[in-house]
Amino acid sequence: MANEKIYYSSIQELENNPVIQELTEKEFANEAPEENSVEESSTSRRDFLKFLGFSTAAATIASCETPIHKAIPYVNKPEEVVAGIANWYASSYYDGHDYASVLVKTREGRPISLKANKDASYGQGLSPRVMGSVLELYDSSRLQHPTKGGKDTDWKTVDAEISSKLKSIGGSNKIIVLLTSTIISPSVKAIIEKYKTTYSNFSHVSYDAVSYSAMLDANMDMFGKRVLPTYKFQDAEVIVSFGADFLQDWTENSQGKDYAMGRNPESGKMSKHYQFESNLSLTGSNADYRFPIKPSQQGLLLVNLYNLLAQKAGKATLSSTPSKLDAKLKAVAKELWAAKGKSLVVAGGNDKNIHLIVNAINELLSNYGSTIDLDNASYLRQGNDASVNALVADMKAGKVGALLMENTNPVYTLGNGAEFASLLSKVSLTVSFALRADETAALCNYVLPNNHYLETWGDVQPTTNYVGLIQPTISPLFNTRQFSVSLLALLGEQVDAYEYLNSFWKENLLNGRSWNQTLHNGFVTVTSEVVESTETESTEDSEETMNSTVDLNTVANQLKSMSKAGSGFELTLYTKSGIGNGSHANNPWLQELPDPVSKATWDNYLTVNLSDAKELGLENYMVSNGGINGALVTLTVNGVTMKDVPVMVQPGQAIGTLGLAVGYGRTASGDCGDGKGVNAYPLYKNFSLTSKGASIEKTEDATDGYEFALTQVASTAMDRSEVIKETTLEAFIADPKAGTDKIFLETHKGKKHVEKVSLWQEFERDVHFWNLSIDLTKCTGCAACVVACHAENNVPVVGKEEVRVGRDMHWLRIDRYYSSDTTKENTPTDGLGDVIDLYLNMEKPSEKPEVVFQPVMCQHCNHAPCENVCPVAATSHSKEGLNHMAYNRCIGTRYCANNCPYKVRRFNWFQYSGNEKFPYNMNDELGRMVLNPDVVVRSRGVMEKCSMCIHMIQKTKLEAKKAGRQVADEDAQTACSLACDTGAMVFGDVMNSSHEVAELKDSPRAYHMLEQLNTQPSVVYHTKVRNK
Amino acid sequence: MTLFIGSSDLYAQDAAKGESLFKSNCASCHALNKKLVGPALSGVTERREEEWLLKWVKNSSALIKSGDPEAIAIFEEYNKSAMTAFTHFSDEDVKDILTYIENPPEPTTGGNGGNVVAGPEKGGSNTSMIIIVALIILSAVLFASLKAKNALKKAMDEPTDSMFKQTKDWLLARPGLVVVIVVLLFIGGVQDTWEQVFDKVGMSQGYQPTQPIAFSHKIHAGEQKIDCNYCHSGARHSKTSGIPSANVCMNCHTYINEGPTTGTKEISKIYEAVGYDPETRAYKENYEPKPIEWVKIHNLPDLVYFNHAQHVTAGKQECKTCHGPIEEMDVVEQFAPLTMGWCIECHRNTEVNTDNPYYENLNERWAEKFHGEKITVDKIGGLECGKCHY
Repeated sequence: MANEKIYYSSIQELENNPVIQELTEKEFANEAPEENSVEESSTSRRDFLKFLGFSTAAATIASCETPIHKAIPYVNKPEEVVAGIANWYASSYYDGHDYASVLVKTREGRPISLKANKDASYGQGLSPRVMGSVLELYDSSRLQHPTKGGKDTDWKTVDAEISSKLKSIGGSNKIIVLLTSTIISPSVKAIIEKYKTTYSNFSHVSYDAVSYSAMLDANMDMFGKRVLPTYKFQDAEVIVSFGADFLQDWTENSQGKDYAMGRNPESGKMSKHYQFESNLSLTGSNADYRFPIKPSQQGLLLVNLYNLLAQKAGKATLSSTPSKLDAKLKAVAKELWAAKGKSLVVAGGNDKNIHLIVNAINELLSNYGSTIDLDNASYLRQGNDASVNALVADMKAGKVGALLMENTNPVYTLGNGAEFASLLSKVSLTVSFALRADETAALCNYVLPNNHYLETWGDVQPTTNYVGLIQPTISPLFNTRQFSVSLLALLGEQVDAYEYLNSFWKENLLNGRSWNQTLHNGFVTVTSEVVESTETESTEDSEETMNSTVDLNTVANQLKSMSKAGSGFELTLYTKSGIGNGSHANNPWLQELPDPVSKATWDNYLTVNLSDAKELGLENYMVSNGGINGALVTLTVNGVTMKDVPVMVQPGQAIGTLGLAVGYGRTASGDCGDGKGVNAYPLYKNFSLTSKGASIEKTEDATDGYEFALTQVASTAMDRSEVIKETTLEAFIADPKAGTDKIFLETHKGKKHVEKVSLWQEFERDVHFWNLSIDLTKCTGCAACVVACHAENNVPVVGKEEVRVGRDMHWLRIDRYYSSDTTKENTPTDGLGDVIDLYLNMEKPSEKPEVVFQPVMCQHCNHAPCENVCPVAATSHSKEGLNHMAYNRCIGTRYCANNCPYKVRRFNWFQYSGNEKFPYNMNDELGRMVLNPDVVVRSRGVMEKCSMCIHMIQKTKLEAKKAGRQVADEDAQTACSLACDTGAMVFGDVMNSSHEVAELKDSPRAYHMLEQLNTQPSVVYHTKVRNK
Repeated sequence: MTLFIGSSDLYAQDAAKGESLFKSNCASCHALNKKLVGPALSGVTERREEEWLLKWVKNSSALIKSGDPEAIAIFEEYNKSAMTAFTHFSDEDVKDILTYIENPPEPTTGGNGGNVVAGPEKGGSNTSMIIIVALIILSAVLFASLKAKNALKKAMDEPTDSMFKQTKDWLLARPGLVVVIVVLLFIGGVQDTWEQVFDKVGMSQGYQPTQPIAFSHKIHAGEQKIDCNYCHSGARHSKTSGIPSANVCMNCHTYINEGPTTGTKEISKIYEAVGYDPETRAYKENYEPKPIEWVKIHNLPDLVYFNHAQHVTAGKQECKTCHGPIEEMDVVEQFAPLTMGWCIECHRNTEVNTDNPYYENLNERWAEKFHGEKITVDKIGGLECGKCHY
């Protein structure tokens, strides 16, 4: 009687619950939502079929006609250009802030990407901003003609009008001022000297948007040189930084590389890094010990540190008061003293007293001459706050007759920018040499648009012993003219940029060297500054020895009084690795680059500590589409009120402090940069990055909160050592395998490593087996690789709304994990409730977290979960250890992304190129010029992912075959490994036992991410070692 | 033996040899019936002594220096530019050239090459052709027999039906035949559609567009035997073989301004592009160049990466393998189907050039693995998706 038996899936079904009844009859609990029901529609089913039939037939007929493609060769082909083969040119990048010695890759005459010039003796670090600079060449919102009063005109008119006006002002009692960002070009400096001799009332004012003036002044006072020293982070055994974010954005870009060179656990040479700061910076994230402090405490701590060291040195101490961190400082002082001459104390901020005391500390530690080199000075920061203030005062007094401005945007970047804007109208002649009609240029009488640096002939002297050349890699795209030529034209000299530079170098720099060879190398080494600027004001100070002009006791007293507790929050302004001071705001690659620490894109925000946020009722929470929302607040600092500032709750932020990035909230940067975030420069009063007495008030009427676009929403790795492995240097020295536990399985043959137990057959390896090694100890999370990957692989920019819902297209992401106070080890569990609590708590980041950065791209699993589930075999494995992706075969089921344990596959939800809904570079005729012709632009509905730069691998192999040789060790590279200046990423063929990567793969620190899945990736990570 | 055979015509002056010497050494400055850089050479043997000519050709400057009045006169006439000395020529070589000049080949009058656009007509498939022919024959027979029948009926004064009705009746009486015809038409239709849809759509084998200049590969590569790499120099180095820029054309066409079939019409288009005046033999100053817009014949879709150097330099493939008998084409057409199946077929059959030192470390391993079988491209990963699609 089996057929009488009825099975129920639940009690409710037995009880004939009508809801259950209905559910059992339907396949899905909820019907798919339909926008228009069929009944409402005026189109009948027959009509629909007719349309379908017609459109199919029409499409078929239309597609039968093959479109005609034209192939248009050169009329006179330049000898060095071979279609399809890239040319590389040595050049230099300097935008008034970032410096890099670069090689520019051009294809068919179009510059498309950059890499570091490894032969150059200076400037190897390429920050994300430098990497992204190539895109700005193809920005159609750049100025395309000289303008007069906002209207296009021609060069002859502007030259004639401006030079005659200059002449008349030159003879008047008003002054002519050239306001620029720091200028390091000897040939341009020579022109400025010419102006000084031509016009007695001419002066040149250097102005850095984010000022380093205090540091320069401190050096002036102590050493008689208004320069910044160069630092040797690689030689420092102990590094103590007070708010200097030297890995991301400080005095020189190459400091990340130097820092990583000094952190090598295998050789035992590993610096110990202490960081005292208020915002969690990239540098703080990498520190071995990090102490969150209020910015006002910085000075006091430095004085106390000085005293501790002075005691050891047997010198007089300064008056001071104790601080809460004195016990820690004692330990730091002990370490520093032990590493005397091989240590480094650095500080951020723009307070002269702080830099004086830091200099004194380094002097006590005898670091000058060893880790700090004042002889080889850095000229990258020359801005002078006093001169800028004097200029504003002169403008107010109506003394300024002409103001020429180059690569500077004071209306936007000055704390009193609005005032500056109104004062511009008091100056009878205002000329800007900007690339675009930015906030300042838009208010000028004339704009003489400058060339992009890739269209420019020029030179740079970033440091005393190095002079680099800038050579154009493309003719000017628009009717623009480079700054040096414009300057000379206004003096009445019509010169050719090349001729001028060439003759200047012949006279001053070549010393019999071949010009062509020098141009090819991109630099020469020298021994002194090529053109020293003559000071117009008599601020020369001949005092050479310290202490004679500097009274440290006064400094200490001032710092002590500064440290007195005030009411309200203390705010620290900072720059982000993508946007920096804001001059690159219109670069979509940089806007979409996630902040290394917060992982937010397209935004700036107020960073608030966890406990402060709780107290004020501010929180970040996830909404149904997976995006993170945050509260909006009104921020008031010293009388300046900013409404609707979004709040990001930031672990590691010092209690009672706030952080806010400058560079956002542009209004005239171009479509992409305008209106993104809030402008923090009005808070940058008196060039001080920090201010006391800030108050915030939650905006109550903001119902849904502010919508952030984060690329990573998880804060911690939840104690999963299969993802992140870390150990301490001590443990590592005792056992090189410390922290790199392997997972073993019990089998009938005894315990076996999980990767040795497999259902799958091993792949046969013969020609190559490409592997990428990533050392988490060396990776600083700088994100240069992310931008390099964008440039190399035509990765589309998708915009904030898409990033927010997890549709970002980055092939390479950098995961950032905070440590949690709760770990499985330190929390005993008893019962299910405890376990649930444990996991919930493990998700919460610590208030003082340790941070790990982990670059993650397709792991190129040799037992790839994605390959098995593709119904059309669009993704498949190669003999060379790569996971291939044939876009044209992909039908977009997304099974592969679903089955990928690393979540590295990216789906083209939309057509991102040539689609006006995505108004970024790929939707712009000119912007598309940056695309790499060797990599296809993917279209809608297909999956894509890191290819391990297979086009570069194929090219390397082909070059070897063409030349009839083996692949050389250094030849095989990926875009990310090329961009990685710290040496964290090493790419190569492990079949070649002499290659570094073969050795790295067998290192005791090597591990595969999520090893227990036995996916056997071709990407190898190395355990992070902290010097503790 | 070889020497003996070779010597049999050693003393006879060889016009053919002279022609090749003339073309490779003299033609850039001299034509037979036209003044170029140097004088027209037709009848030169009548104007000058052979001995004098030998001296002049081998080293004209020496002859001028020696004070020979004839030599000086020519030197003066041609703007004091001396003729290149051909010291490496033997007397026999010069005599060969002179023989050629005395006996120039008959000018070809055939219009091979004038016919620029006509490509081979591609017929339908064989099956449908047979069916169509069979049906035509069948209906012709039917029509003829009906006509005959009607004529007979008319003669007998019998009433005649319309032709259509007669045909219908005749067919209705033979249902078997109707079925056969319908089946044949159906098969033909299906096959034709199949071929159109699956073999032809998106394929352009035989594509032979009209080019802006009626450039003949037959003349350049076939008759003149110019190496493919001379113009398509990218093929050995780069992913694209490259269409030569006009300045490459000008290497020869500075002097050769008349072609055998189209005269000056087509060559002058190059001059138009670069701004060259063949009369004054000078480039026009400040001339805005006019790039030549060739029509691309071989179009691969964006989704595939193809590299010429990989095939030509590393794989040692002949251009012909994919481009067909280019040297016989007046107008180039796409020879290969350029489908993925075609690529793969070749990768399955082509052996890898394992002599390349690139594979040095592998030969031993491969010998063990393949046991002396042919190592074809597919065996070392040449069929993997990512090798061509990225």
